[in-house]
Amino acid sequence: MKGNFFISLRLFFERRRQSVIATLGVVIGTAAFIVMSSMVNGFQKYFLEEALNINGHVKIFVESTFREDRILRKVYKEGVFLVLGAKPKSVKDRISNYREILSKYAKDENVLGITLHLVGNGVISYGVKEKPATFVGIFPELEDKTLRISKYLVKNNLGQLERNKEAVILGIKLAEELGIKDIGKKVVLVSPNGTLHRLKVVDLLKTGITEIDKSRVYLHIKKLQDILGKPNEVNEVILKLKSADLAPVYAKRFTKETGYRAESWQESFKNFLSIFKIQKIITRSVVFAILLVSGFGIFNIIMMTVLEKKRDIAILKAMGYEKRDIILIFSLQGIIIGVFGGLAGNFLSYGILEWLETIKIEVEGIIRAEGFLLDRSISYHLQGFIFAVLVSFLASFYPAYRASRFHPVEVFRSGS
Amino acid sequence: MGADTVLKAENIKKLIGNYEILKGINFSVKKGEFVSIVGASGSGKSTLLYILGLLDTPTEGKIFLENKEVDFSQEKKLATLRNRKFGFIFQFHYLIPEFTALENVMIPMLKAGVDSKRAKEKAEYLLERLGLKDKILRKPYQLSGGEQQRVAIARALANDPLLLLADEPTGNLDSLNTQKVMEIFQELNSEGTTIVMVTHERELTRMTHRVVEIKDGEIVEETTLV
Ligand SMILES: Nc1ncnc2c1ncn2[C@@H]1O[C@H](COP(=O)(O)OP(=O)(O)OP(=O)(O)O)[C@@H](O)[C@H]1O
Ligand SMILES: [Mg+2]
Repeated sequence: MKGNFFISLRLFFERRRQSVIATLGVVIGTAAFIVMSSMVNGFQKYFLEEALNINGHVKIFVESTFREDRILRKVYKEGVFLVLGAKPKSVKDRISNYREILSKYAKDENVLGITLHLVGNGVISYGVKEKPATFVGIFPELEDKTLRISKYLVKNNLGQLERNKEAVILGIKLAEELGIKDIGKKVVLVSPNGTLHRLKVVDLLKTGITEIDKSRVYLHIKKLQDILGKPNEVNEVILKLKSADLAPVYAKRFTKETGYRAESWQESFKNFLSIFKIQKIITRSVVFAILLVSGFGIFNIIMMTVLEKKRDIAILKAMGYEKRDIILIFSLQGIIIGVFGGLAGNFLSYGILEWLETIKIEVEGIIRAEGFLLDRSISYHLQGFIFAVLVSFLASFYPAYRASRFHPVEVFRSGS
Repeated sequence: MGADTVLKAENIKKLIGNYEILKGINFSVKKGEFVSIVGASGSGKSTLLYILGLLDTPTEGKIFLENKEVDFSQEKKLATLRNRKFGFIFQFHYLIPEFTALENVMIPMLKAGVDSKRAKEKAEYLLERLGLKDKILRKPYQLSGGEQQRVAIARALANDPLLLLADEPTGNLDSLNTQKVMEIFQELNSEGTTIVMVTHERELTRMTHRVVEIKDGEIVEETTLV
């Protein structure tokens, strides 16, 4: 055993050129794995974290708040009948028992907070520009207590919503698109039933998630109820849970117990999650390809070493080294390459990540950020190292096995 | 079978395909003997030596090592026996090129489980005895042919073998180095090492106790010289 270690280590250090080349492949593979994992997961984690912070885990809601009959009724008064199928169906467009829900689920040990919304779609205009937007009527204090939206407000003016009934908060991207660069501007909100309302921008919402930043408008719920003509109505209840993983279970439970549609964040972000999955698959494939190439490099180098060292293997066997010993000597080479390559790859990736963190660039896509969003979890370093050792070991095993099968007499007979 | 018989071969046959390389060899070595095996090229000398050294398997026949029959089906046991009981020297030195002379000599001892400090001391001692005191840290390519072969001899002696098996140990050496190796063999033998040496140089057999001549896979003559 000791002899095997000694022989293997000596061979590794004496055959410097081959060892360095083989190790270099592993270094690059390991570093690529760590850096790519860090970048992809950093982005995904950031996105989900921010999105869940602002949107909660489970949404209990009713479909479209827009009543198709409303405009007709304006003209024809009560002479309008809306036929919604063979049998008249009661249209649920509000959550009438939200107080009940609130008191019932607030006690649940896995529910960290509940907040109430009135949500409606409409148009917002500034000057000649118009943009569609999602109006979210909130109880500012409750909203902040549950979802900490003030963390994402540029001016930290959430209190203004409470004090000033004409106040509105715009997603920063929406504001930009309207041409609003700062707070204090007056905008006009166009409700679904055509009424116009002048409001003052008191703050901007900057979550970094493009989808939210370019569509969301926060108002006091009372104001939105007025605008939409839905006094005291709530059509969305948001739950914040102890763990994001609980959301599907709770969504199912709420649907069953309350009769409203409840959607977990996993469902709401289905599209993003499947994009993320594809992203992960692509990353893994690339990393796998790199590891495969470095594994192949190791395989080649150990195979060459083994063929070149036929005579040495023969004499080792003549001197009493067993098949097992020969396998160990050469697969140990692989493990040494893996350990050195894995360690060096870790250092290299650490350096690269440190460097990436200092880089300031404007990223704009699904999210907006000022640099790379990196997940610096130690587990990627650990995984990278383990992969490096595993791949190197596997790559060297077959050549080592082949070496162990050499018959000394045949080698001696084949001449010097 | 005498108590002092170290190795005995009984009716050893070796077939490759349907060509019979060895045709029933009976041969034994006593403790302290220095035996030489001679014969023309292709007569089967090396084949016999490989079988005696448990490196190859006979098609038929038995080998007794210290009066115990060797079981050729147990590969692991054969390896251990080779490590503990035999020292091999070939025409080519087969030193591992990446290792120093010292390390090359240590290798059989490390397999035997000797601790590295002990192995190093012993290797130093052996190399010193063979006149390589100043060259223990050299790599094989930094040594002359004669020196390389002496390192190989030191390596063969590392585990104090019961039997030293040499196949044309001087085949690659000039007369001066051949002389030196033979002197070493005689000295080792006089100290009790049992040696079996294959050679095709007749005059070298004069320094041995017994000459066994092989022709076409058969022993045709056995001469005791002392
Ligand atoms: N694997 C093999 N296949 C076929 N023939 C073989 C094989 N191994 C050995 N032989 C034959 O067996 C015979 C004996 O070979 P061996 O090497 O024992 O001879 P030798 O006496 O040592 O010869 P030399 O003095 O040239 O070394 C030779 O004729 C050789 O061709
Ligand atoms: Mg021969």
